[in-house]
Amino acid sequence: MAIAHQFGYLKPSTLRETVKTLARYGTRARVLAGGTDLISLIAENVIAPDVVVDIKGMPGLDRIEFKNGVLTIGALVTFSDLRDSPVIAKKFPVIREMTGWLASVGIRNRATMVGNLCSAVPCCDSGPVLQVYDAAVLVAGPAGRHRVPLGDWFVGPRQTVLKRGEIATGVAVPLPRRKHAACFVKLRRYEGEDLAQASVTVLALAGSRYRVSFGAVAPRPVRGTKIEALLDGRPLSETLLRQAVALLPEEIAPITDIRATKEYRMQMVGVMLERGLRAAAARLAGNGPAYGTSLI
Amino acid sequence: MTPLKFVGTSPRRIDGLEKVTGAATYVDDIPFGPNLLHAEIVESPFAHALIERIDTSAAKKIPGVVCVVTGKEFPYRFGLYMQDRFIFPTDRVRFVGEQVAAVIARDPQTAKRAAKLVKVVYRELEPVLDLEQALRVNAVLVHPDLGNYTRCPWFFPQAGTNIAHRRKTRKGDVEKGFREADAIFEDTYTVPRYAHCAIEPHVIVGLYDLSGRLTLWSASQSPYTQRNVFAQTLAPLGLTHKDIRVVTPYVGGGFGGKAGVSMEIIGAALAIMVKGQPVKVRWSRAQEFYNTYQRQGVIARIKLGAKKDGTITAIEHTLHWDAGGYVEYGANVVNAVGLSATGPYRIPNVKIDSVCVYTNLPPGGPYRGFGYSEFHFGLESHMTGFAQKLGIDPVEFRRRNAIREGDTLAYGAEMNPNGLREAIDRVAAEIGWGKKEVSPDPRKAIGKGFACFWKAPAMPPNAASAAFMKFNEDGSLNVSVSGMEIGQGYLTVMAQIAAEILTVPVEKIRIESPDTDRNAYEWQTVGSHVTWGCGNAVQAAALDVRGKMFAVVERALGFARDTLYLEDEKVKCRARPDFALPLRDFVISGIQTPHGNFIGGPILGSGVFMPEFTSALSDPETSQGGHPNVHYTVGAAAVKLEIDKQTGKMRVLKATLAVDAGKAIHPELVRGQIVGGMVQGLATALYEDIRYDLKGKLLNANFTDYKIPTAMDTPLEIVPIIVEVAQPDGPFGARGIAEHTMIPAAAIVANAVEDAVGLRLKTLPITAEKVALALAGIAYDDVKGAYMGLCFAGKPETYAFCTNAARRSR
Amino acid sequence: MKTTVTVALNGETRRVDVAPNEILLDVLREKLGVTSPKIGCERGDCGACTVLLDGKTVRSCLILAIEADGHEITTVEGLSRDGLTPLQQSLLEHNSFQCGFCAPGMVLSATALLARQPSPSEEEAKEAIAGNLCRCTGYQPIVAAIVAAGQKARQRA
Repeated sequence: MAIAHQFGYLKPSTLRETVKTLARYGTRARVLAGGTDLISLIAENVIAPDVVVDIKGMPGLDRIEFKNGVLTIGALVTFSDLRDSPVIAKKFPVIREMTGWLASVGIRNRATMVGNLCSAVPCCDSGPVLQVYDAAVLVAGPAGRHRVPLGDWFVGPRQTVLKRGEIATGVAVPLPRRKHAACFVKLRRYEGEDLAQASVTVLALAGSRYRVSFGAVAPRPVRGTKIEALLDGRPLSETLLRQAVALLPEEIAPITDIRATKEYRMQMVGVMLERGLRAAAARLAGNGPAYGTSLI
Repeated sequence: MTPLKFVGTSPRRIDGLEKVTGAATYVDDIPFGPNLLHAEIVESPFAHALIERIDTSAAKKIPGVVCVVTGKEFPYRFGLYMQDRFIFPTDRVRFVGEQVAAVIARDPQTAKRAAKLVKVVYRELEPVLDLEQALRVNAVLVHPDLGNYTRCPWFFPQAGTNIAHRRKTRKGDVEKGFREADAIFEDTYTVPRYAHCAIEPHVIVGLYDLSGRLTLWSASQSPYTQRNVFAQTLAPLGLTHKDIRVVTPYVGGGFGGKAGVSMEIIGAALAIMVKGQPVKVRWSRAQEFYNTYQRQGVIARIKLGAKKDGTITAIEHTLHWDAGGYVEYGANVVNAVGLSATGPYRIPNVKIDSVCVYTNLPPGGPYRGFGYSEFHFGLESHMTGFAQKLGIDPVEFRRRNAIREGDTLAYGAEMNPNGLREAIDRVAAEIGWGKKEVSPDPRKAIGKGFACFWKAPAMPPNAASAAFMKFNEDGSLNVSVSGMEIGQGYLTVMAQIAAEILTVPVEKIRIESPDTDRNAYEWQTVGSHVTWGCGNAVQAAALDVRGKMFAVVERALGFARDTLYLEDEKVKCRARPDFALPLRDFVISGIQTPHGNFIGGPILGSGVFMPEFTSALSDPETSQGGHPNVHYTVGAAAVKLEIDKQTGKMRVLKATLAVDAGKAIHPELVRGQIVGGMVQGLATALYEDIRYDLKGKLLNANFTDYKIPTAMDTPLEIVPIIVEVAQPDGPFGARGIAEHTMIPAAAIVANAVEDAVGLRLKTLPITAEKVALALAGIAYDDVKGAYMGLCFAGKPETYAFCTNAARRSR
Repeated sequence: MKTTVTVALNGETRRVDVAPNEILLDVLREKLGVTSPKIGCERGDCGACTVLLDGKTVRSCLILAIEADGHEITTVEGLSRDGLTPLQQSLLEHNSFQCGFCAPGMVLSATALLARQPSPSEEEAKEAIAGNLCRCTGYQPIVAAIVAAGQKARQRA
């Protein structure tokens, strides 16, 4: 729809310029990368920035690099880039798996993973997946550069820890040293493009260690630390899986909204957790379903 | 009989090239120059409120604003079957989002900014958001003036209540029928509202030129009906039909939502306010959801009685409809169902009560199926449930009771020729009925669901079609009709009919899109009737043209006209095998005689079709005595569903539908309607889910949260089946099929779920969530903290079906 | 404040003045005379506004016109100028479209697919057009046409 609100448009060509601009305008500025979230927020009068700062002119942010065991995804890397990346397909296949159920091609060609993290919507898909890798968001600001572990990144719905003048320049994802496999399960209302009603990500590491995270069932992505502790070092069994599922009410707090009831979310996360654990373990053992196969 | 050459084949669509190259023009694509003005609507935030005061002064001051319009400038009512609706209301608003004023400005951004400055003072009234409350004595009234509304004679509003119309059908004696029954089964089914979601939003451009002529470019299924409603409504301004022209280019999907007149009247009114300049009113997607027709919600109670052998003896079917704040079109949906809610079965004793209730929700109206999609969910779920109780196979139960040609319909007229038995048999065979299938995955169950369906076009008894034809020098043909190409392939089908008679190939026939100044009349492109109605007119026009050609040849060359025939675009003569006169040689220029003079001239023709056997007049207490429906199209459908018992997720492994097209003029297009209709119908069963908040505001007015099918959601396999039992008064035996393909979808899903996992769900939609939680035995608040699309807050089994408000009015 | 934006639109360099808040879709339709990308939802949900930006499908309703400066845009008008592409020919032969409103977006999404994957499977074709909503056809004839176009290309190769 025609945007009635008028705003300025800036396209800095260096990180320094970007940080200065953001520091200057504070909350009156909004960062524009893919725009798939920002533009409709402005068009629907949810936000009214004075200035939009297009970061697509900054060099070096569109790279996917794997060096010294760490995957660095720049702020301008789109979900399509992630989908097409050989290193991600090989070393972080669950990231690729996640992108397959995110929106559709036309959106993925523009939407960025870092943008998805910055939107901080409770149903965000990137957050829970990166969380099992103990990833960290790379931030640049007036005080210099620093990293924010993903567990600290989300403050609440549409709120991150970014301070005035700061911008996320990328995300660093360490490759676990042990042999591992993972699984991303997303509950949607149908097979077409949909926001997550709930999501479960499982990372299975050699030695029966697990990292589990949940999306869209709390104000932000959460790690299931109690479940992880329960499973640690123990081979999966029917009993253990039941016990893990029984811990869910202590880990997540789903709500009833227009997309699902809390009862359905709770019930389904249990099913997804069980199937996700089995699939991740099977993949680790070399006989699991191919990445991209839906478990639900 | 010569074999058909064009009818019954599947040529390339004549609009195909335009659509594949992006050349196809829709209303919003038409350029209107730098003076095009833009309108922004000021909408009511309340479901029910009196309008106390509207202050437009601040808005008018914004530079670029040309004019601000309210109901003060247009205090006129309009409506198709009853005039209960306003261009802009002056008294009160009746649904959240109803238009209260409009700002016209030089650009859309200015219009938007100024619209925010229009101040409206409302006095909130209690909204009617619950059917039971709407029908109580002393209920808050949505239309206190109901008794004064102009309406068509076969509608029966009850003044002093929220009952806008009531169709009662009584045949035989249901009490006797139930006494004769060996078994009786009664249950309640609920269907919420649904949205059409055509991909093209409603849009209209109006120009009231300096000579006082009003032209509208409208994305409409009904240009002539629009012109008629505009003329009636604007008559106080001195305008009549000759002063109004409606032009409709390609329409990006209708499904009934672009029938009649909804937002388009605003375009006509605003144009008058800015004489000499065109003004565009284009709906946003959100407005598409909350301020155009919605498919009405309904609660239905069905009681069936049958003998042990499965012969149905009686049906009592009561339907209470959530019809919205205005029912000028929706009341006819209620009416149509009131006449036909027996389904395609031979039932001697019938009692149908179809009650149209005003509520403070968006206006209900026509949506593919026109009430039949709504009532078949309950009826066909009930038929299967009853069959199971009787210990009879659900398909066999339907076979035994299937309506036959000549049977008496609920309102006394006779059933037309139909292939219902054949449809049932072929669908049952295709889905492998009777063979239980087991999923290799132990977590999954496979079920099959079956349903029959029928529908007749719901039209006034004089709904007419007309066609003009003219030739061009190259022997090509122009056909001028006012049916709309909304995607169904209408243009191509009309061309095929003309081609068959005139032997001009389809590629040389142009079917012109409607312009009420230039094209012949068509009532509306609704009801799946244009293949039949307009097809008959085109056939008549083609025969007229042919007759004229033969007359000219006879006059010019002396051959007796009854020896003449057409073949390969030439006039030939049975008595003279060497004679072959190409059409292009004479259809403009005439035929030169041996004396050198020319006989004939341009060949033109016309044809009209109006059903002369229908009448809507009948006994208001029983509906007996009329012949309101021209004929029924029947069919059957089935689905094979795989359900994951833990997640409730359902996958359609196979869907099949057989429809009796009478004669499939273009079989591929018929199959296309079956595939498209099935996908649309299955979506209403599985995931389309309208949600209002407790104050009547639509919560999911977008595709993010109202999910319509994507390419990833299609069934693994859809098998279309065409049955052809000729419609005697149809062109080449054809009758309409395009709404019908959606009608049985919800019921076959419900029946398949029951077959797979033993769960009988009687409220739509049947989502994975409902199935998963029901299977797990988990209770939950299924209104999700907000209303469902259905206007009743309680559990369906508790709905009282009481209309004591009606009693009060007597 | 207006900026002059330069785009290579369907092979031709075009310049247009835009304010930052003007949407690419609107500028294409109203200022650059290209009406094949349609307004369907203005939120990126329906795909009717799809254009190719530097060869990739994007939702032009979610892009500011100013962002397109210096880029290449292709719409169906650009594909059809020299006659139908094999994909368009296939869509025509399969009678794939009904109302046609989703067609431009579908054609571009399928074109982008065939450029990457000349012989797509049915699954790949469905995924490529999964972001283009069609209310009329049920998708079957569109998918069939895309797969057929790919098979034909393979036979020719």
